[in-house]
Amino acid sequence: MSAAAALREGAPEAPAAARPAAVVGALLLGGVLLAWLFALVVPYDVVADVNPARASLRPSAAHWLGTDHLGRDVAWRLVVGSRAFVLPGLGAALLAGLLGVAGGAVAGWLGGPVATAVRYAGNVVASIPRLVFVLLAGAVFGPDVHVLAVATGLACAPAVAEALHARIEALRRAEFVLALQAHGVPDARILAWHLVWVNGRGLVARNVLATFAFFLVVETTLSYLGGFGVQEPTPSWGNMLAFEFGIPDGNPWAWAAPGLAVWAACLGAALLGQDLGLREGAADG
Amino acid sequence: MDELVLERLRVAAGARTLVEDATLRVGAGEIVALVGASGSGKTLTARAALGLLPFTPGWVGGQIRVTTEGRVFTPRAEADFRALRGGVLGLLWQDARGALDPLRTVGAQVTAASRLAGDTGRPEDVLARVGFSDPAQVARQHPHVLSGGMAQRAALAVALARRSRFLLADEPTTGLDPSVQRGILAHLAAVAASGVGILFVTHDLRLLPGFASRVVVMDAGRTVEEAPTPGALVGHGRALLDATRRIAGGAL
Repeated sequence: MSAAAALREGAPEAPAAARPAAVVGALLLGGVLLAWLFALVVPYDVVADVNPARASLRPSAAHWLGTDHLGRDVAWRLVVGSRAFVLPGLGAALLAGLLGVAGGAVAGWLGGPVATAVRYAGNVVASIPRLVFVLLAGAVFGPDVHVLAVATGLACAPAVAEALHARIEALRRAEFVLALQAHGVPDARILAWHLVWVNGRGLVARNVLATFAFFLVVETTLSYLGGFGVQEPTPSWGNMLAFEFGIPDGNPWAWAAPGLAVWAACLGAALLGQDLGLREGAADG
Repeated sequence: MDELVLERLRVAAGARTLVEDATLRVGAGEIVALVGASGSGKTLTARAALGLLPFTPGWVGGQIRVTTEGRVFTPRAEADFRALRGGVLGLLWQDARGALDPLRTVGAQVTAASRLAGDTGRPEDVLARVGFSDPAQVARQHPHVLSGGMAQRAALAVALARRSRFLLADEPTTGLDPSVQRGILAHLAAVAASGVGILFVTHDLRLLPGFASRVVVMDAGRTVEEAPTPGALVGHGRALLDATRRIAGGAL
């Protein structure tokens, strides 16, 4: 095959094997979601599992990740701990996505004073560090998980809006947009379908995934520090870490596993988001 | 009879008047060439006819009148232009790659234009009409893998699929090699033969003999001269013609 023919045949959608970051990211996040679904359908009594007779066991066939110093199964608690962040994290991501897409799309399309107003509102929120913003919301409205999720969504929305705003502003005067207008395609459809969905969804996906990962970090941080987050005996990856770390002669997996799980979930969101965002960016050039 | 008429059209950007007086008529099945030096207002005139100017206040005076299928349109506001865009007035761009959505396949874009025209056909049929020998493959490709000539033919396919009554072609052959230029012109001539009126904006007079029904010359924002062929130009058009002849070696 000639070089020119190879160029012309350049596949628009590369096969999965050529996108290792996306595959690894999707597998990691998929694992988290599976754990969450599993915890939804299979009951686990967080109190009844206490059994001092089998405290701090190392991993075995009966306890895949061993037990903590109260004798509770670490693997089980890891699975159940996903409940602390998956649903509220998805809620935060959805909120950031909805607000960010609405603000970014309208501002990017209309420009002028509307764009200034949206950007100003976003800057006011973004001027407060996100973790501080969430902590403030928790302090004012109570450390309820719903409050934390909504605050995270609000804190992350400006980043989504800003990214989409820039993308749409850049494409707003593109010839293909004028060509679509010349074809009689209504503006609302050009904005919603051609700009936001076709040309902006990877960018939005990357920011929304980052919001989900950020909520996991917020939740882990708060429950690690105690007070604000999920309280013992209900497991969360943060309080598992805090509860087991530094126990003399403890099971190291009891704190390493939740730590690794946080790392893996965030890595998954970053890898998948990077792949989705970058592939789209490459097509801009 | 179907016609597109621009009468004393004026276009302004801010306080600057860019088009003073553009007057021309395109009948059904006609190819009217709008020629002139760069910056004479040709492209703006074509865009103004669609109500798609990238600045304000844009169209400030004169009249646009479109007669088609027994109805007369004299668009004034954005809503009037919306009713015309696509079905009545179509546009073919100079920068074909820019005119195609970079992230959608050629086939998807042709199909979208067909659906807007109320057709349910396959994109491959339209792509075959503009001379692609492997339309199924082209339909699956994204614009960035197409050569300039292929992209312009793909853009032509999208424009044809929309089935506008009048086509505003803004230098659709600029930057293409002569054989591709000839192909594009042949397709446009075939479109005109099917009853579509074409306003063909260009600065290259060499393309026009045997192709354009009439030549309208624009200079400094005014339409200044009209003739049946480039050779018959006498006024401002004569200077353009002489310059072209010096390059083309008397072929005109």
